[in-house]
Amino acid sequence: MQCAAEPLESRYTSEESDGDAMKEKLAGIVGGLSADYADLRYEENRKTRISFKGNQLVEVASYETSGGHVRAYAKGGKAVASFSDPARAGRMAEAVATSAAIAGGRRAKPLRMADAPVVTENFPIHCEQDLRKVSFQEKLDLTTHYNQMILEGAEIATAETNYDEFVSRRIFVNSEGSVIEYEIVLANILGFIVSKRGNVMQRVRFAFGGDADFARIRGREEDLKKRIAFAQQLLDAEPAKAGLFPVILDPSESGVFIHEAFGHLSEADGLQNNPAFREKLQLGAKLAKPILNVYDDPSLPAHPGTYVIDDEGVRGVRTELITEGILSGRLHSRETAAEFGEPLSGNMRAVGEVYTPVVRMSNIGIMPGTDTFDDMVASIDHGYYLVGAKGGQTSGDQFTFGAQWGYRIEDGKLGTMVRDINMSGELFSTLQAISMVGGKTEGSERGGCGKAGQSNRLSGKDTPPIKIDQVTIGGV
Amino acid sequence: MHEFIKNAKGKVDQAELYWKRTHSIDVSYENNQLQEIAEDDLSSVAVRVIHEGKLGSTFAVSPEQEGLVEQAKTAAANGDKATFSFAPDGDYARVEPPNTETAKLTSEDLVSLCETTRDAIQSKRDDLALSISAQMEKESLSIETTEGAQAHHETAQSVLVISAPIKGAGIGVYKLGVSTQPQTTPTGLIDEFLEWYGWTGKTSTPATGRMPVLFAPEASFLYLLPLWAGLEGNAIEKKTSPIVDRTGEPILSENLTILEDSVSPGGVGARPFDDEGVPCRRRPVVENGVLKGFLLDQRTATAIGQTSTGNASKRELFGGGTETKPSPWPLRWEIPAGTKSYRNIMAGLDEALLVYYGMGFHSGNYPQGQFSIQAIGFHIKGGEVVGRLENTMISANIYEDFKNVSAISAERGHPLGFINGVIPYVLVDSIQVAGS
Repeated sequence: MQCAAEPLESRYTSEESDGDAMKEKLAGIVGGLSADYADLRYEENRKTRISFKGNQLVEVASYETSGGHVRAYAKGGKAVASFSDPARAGRMAEAVATSAAIAGGRRAKPLRMADAPVVTENFPIHCEQDLRKVSFQEKLDLTTHYNQMILEGAEIATAETNYDEFVSRRIFVNSEGSVIEYEIVLANILGFIVSKRGNVMQRVRFAFGGDADFARIRGREEDLKKRIAFAQQLLDAEPAKAGLFPVILDPSESGVFIHEAFGHLSEADGLQNNPAFREKLQLGAKLAKPILNVYDDPSLPAHPGTYVIDDEGVRGVRTELITEGILSGRLHSRETAAEFGEPLSGNMRAVGEVYTPVVRMSNIGIMPGTDTFDDMVASIDHGYYLVGAKGGQTSGDQFTFGAQWGYRIEDGKLGTMVRDINMSGELFSTLQAISMVGGKTEGSERGGCGKAGQSNRLSGKDTPPIKIDQVTIGGV
Repeated sequence: MHEFIKNAKGKVDQAELYWKRTHSIDVSYENNQLQEIAEDDLSSVAVRVIHEGKLGSTFAVSPEQEGLVEQAKTAAANGDKATFSFAPDGDYARVEPPNTETAKLTSEDLVSLCETTRDAIQSKRDDLALSISAQMEKESLSIETTEGAQAHHETAQSVLVISAPIKGAGIGVYKLGVSTQPQTTPTGLIDEFLEWYGWTGKTSTPATGRMPVLFAPEASFLYLLPLWAGLEGNAIEKKTSPIVDRTGEPILSENLTILEDSVSPGGVGARPFDDEGVPCRRRPVVENGVLKGFLLDQRTATAIGQTSTGNASKRELFGGGTETKPSPWPLRWEIPAGTKSYRNIMAGLDEALLVYYGMGFHSGNYPQGQFSIQAIGFHIKGGEVVGRLENTMISANIYEDFKNVSAISAERGHPLGFINGVIPYVLVDSIQVAGS
C-alpha cells in the first residue's frame, strides 16, 4: 500500500494553531518586512520513540515540539533565524531583515533567487494503513516482539531496537504570496544486532518502514531472521585484506556509493562557492561510461525521500543527474538555481523546526543496466562482493563507506565471508571505473543523511548492483 | 525552586526538569564573501518522572507548557522499572561565569572578525576560496529535581573556523579556534593555516604497509571515540566492551594519560554538573596507560553496582540534544602535554603520516576499539612533508596499536566537535596503511 500527498483540505486543526489564523499571522509578518524577499516556516512536530537496549526498555516518549524558521534577502544579502516561541516570530523576522541588509552591503556579488510559482495549497499525507491510526500499544508490542526475536538468537550478545516516528505539520508562507500547509509522516523500526563469540563481536543493522505506511513495519519477522543469521555467520568471517581490489556492490552498497560519492556533489549549495569544482562539474562533463544513468526523484512511491513540496515552497521534480555517463542536471534551491542559471528542482529541505533548509537529495537512483550478477562475479579474478550499507562519508571528491559484510571472489567464483570492510576512493576515477550495471534495482527503507548538522531521515535510494574495477579496501 | 518542580511534587513520585536556552549568532563567509548571518533564539525542555516505580519522559519548548507532568506520567505507565533516583542536592565545583564581553558579541563584531581574518590571509595569499565562520553562543542550563538538585550554569564561547578547498582535490584544509574569550585576529591560527595549505601543493600516496602515524588534535576522535565506546556504562553493563574486566590493567601506552576534567577553570566546555544534575569531578580515566575507571550515568552506575561518575550527557555520536536521553559521554577530556613541538616530532620521522581528519569513522567496528578510515593529512619523508595524502586508508585497533605511543606534543588543540577537551599531537609507532 502506498501513501500519497496531494492537495486537500486543511488538517491544521489544533486549537492553539488554527490553520487559517496561523497562516494569516505568519503571512502578515513576512509581508510587512523591509526586505526584497522573506519566508517563514512554522512547524508542529509529534515524535514517538520506543527504545530497547538489550532486554531493557530504556525509553518511551511521545511528545510535541514546535518552532519556526525565518529567512530574508535584502540588498543582495541573506540572513536566517530560528525561534522556539511563536510570539517572538515577529521580532526575529525584523532582526533577520536588518541582518540581511547588513550582509548585502558587504557583498560584491548580490545573492538572487530564481523565480518560482506562487503556491497556495495544502498537502496532507493519505495512507490506508496510516501509522497515525495505529495504537501506541501495537507499536510498543511490535517493537518488543522484534527485540525479543533478536535476543533469543544463538550467540547474540545484545541488541538495540527502536521505534522512531516523526509526524510534522508545517506552514510555509513567503512575501510573494505563497501559503502552504503540508505534512511529513514516517516511522521506522530499526536498530542493530550484536553477535559475540570469544573476543570477536559483530554488529548488523536492520531497518523496516520509511514512510507513513505501517504495513511496511508489520510482519517483518522473516526479514529480521535473515539479519540475525548474518550477524551469527559473521562470527566465522575473516577480516578483509587491505589493498586495491575490484568489487561488486549490492544494491544497498551501490545506493550509499552513489549517494555519498556523487549525490552530494550534485547538490548545488556545496558547489556554489567552490570555483574549482564548479569548473570541473559543468553540465555536459563526461563523468562515466555510457552505461551509467543517475537521477533524483522525490515522486518515487514507497521510498523514504518522497515528498510533494520542499521547505522553500517549491514542488519537487525528477532531475536526471547523469545521462549515459554525461553530467546532465543538478539539485537546487531558488538561490543556487539563480546562481547557476539552471531549472528549479525543489530540493531545499530542513529536518526540523530550528533548521534552515539546505539542498539535499530526495531519492537518488541508478537506472537498471543489462548485466547479470553471475556475469559480474565471473568477470573478477581476485576481489570482493560487498553487502549491506554501513554508512558513508564524503568530502569533495573523496568518499569512504563501509559494508556490513562481504564475500571474497576468487577466479570468478564467490568465496568465504569477510567482515570489517571500509573502502574509499576518489569520485571521478571511481565513476569511470564502473564497468557493469545490474538489471534489477532495490530501494532503501531507511533514510539517514548528515549535512549541515541535520540528520535527514527523508532520504531514499533505488539502485541495482554495480561493478567497480578498483577501489581501496582498508582492511588488516 | 522552579514552579514546575513545586507543582510536580505530589503528582508523581519524583520529577526532573532539564531546561536549556541558547542564543547564538553565526556569521559565515564563503569564497571570501559574506554568505549568511544566522541567529537562533531557542528554548528546549526535557522532563523525566518516576511514577509508581516506572520511568517516563516528555519534551517541550518551555516548562510553562501545560500538561507536561501528565504526559510524562502517561509515558511512565508504559515505561520500564526505574532503577535509580533523580539527583539530590549536589556539591558543585565553582566554574567561572561566562565572559560578559563574549556574551555581548554582535553580528557586526563577528563580521569584523571574519573580514580582518580574511584580509590578513589575503595579504599573504590571495588565490584561495576562503570560508570563514565566526560564532557566538550563549547557553543557560538548569536542572532541578524533586530530590533537591538545583543546578544552574551559564556559558559563552566564541568559535572561529578558517578553511579553503584544496585546488583540484575537493577536500580542504581547516583550522579551528575556540575560546571563552572574544577572539581577536588569530595570527597564530592564520600562520598555521597558511603553512598547512602550502603543504597541499603536491599529492603523495604511501606504499601499503605499516608506518608511524602522528595524529593531530583535530583527528583525536579517531582513537578517543573507540575508547569512549569501551568505557561507557552501557557497554560495561552488557559486557560488550573489550575492556570490561580490565580496570587496573594497562590498556594503552604508558605515555598516555587521559583525564576527565569538566571543571577546569576557564576551560572551553567546562561545567559543574552533568545532564542529570550530578556533580562533575576531575579524575583520570586512563593513567599512564592503566585503566582507572569507566564513564557512568545514574542508570548504568546502578546497573553495575557503582555510583554515577557525573558523565550523563544528551550528546550522542551523531548529534544529540535536549530530546536525547542521557547516557555516558566524556564531558571534557584532557591529555597532558608533552615537551617536544609537533614539528620536532615530525623532523625525527623517516616515513610517516600526519593525519588531521579521517573519513568513514562511523562505518567501522569502533565499539571493539577499531577504526578504518580514509586518512586526510600529509605524507612525511625524511622528516619533511612531501605532499598531501591521496587514496590512503589507515586501520587500527586502539587496544593493540596505541600500546606503542612514542611522543606527545607540547602543543594542544581542540578535537573536532565530537568531544570537548584539549588534546596534543600523538605519535603512534606503527599503523596499518593501505596506499599504492
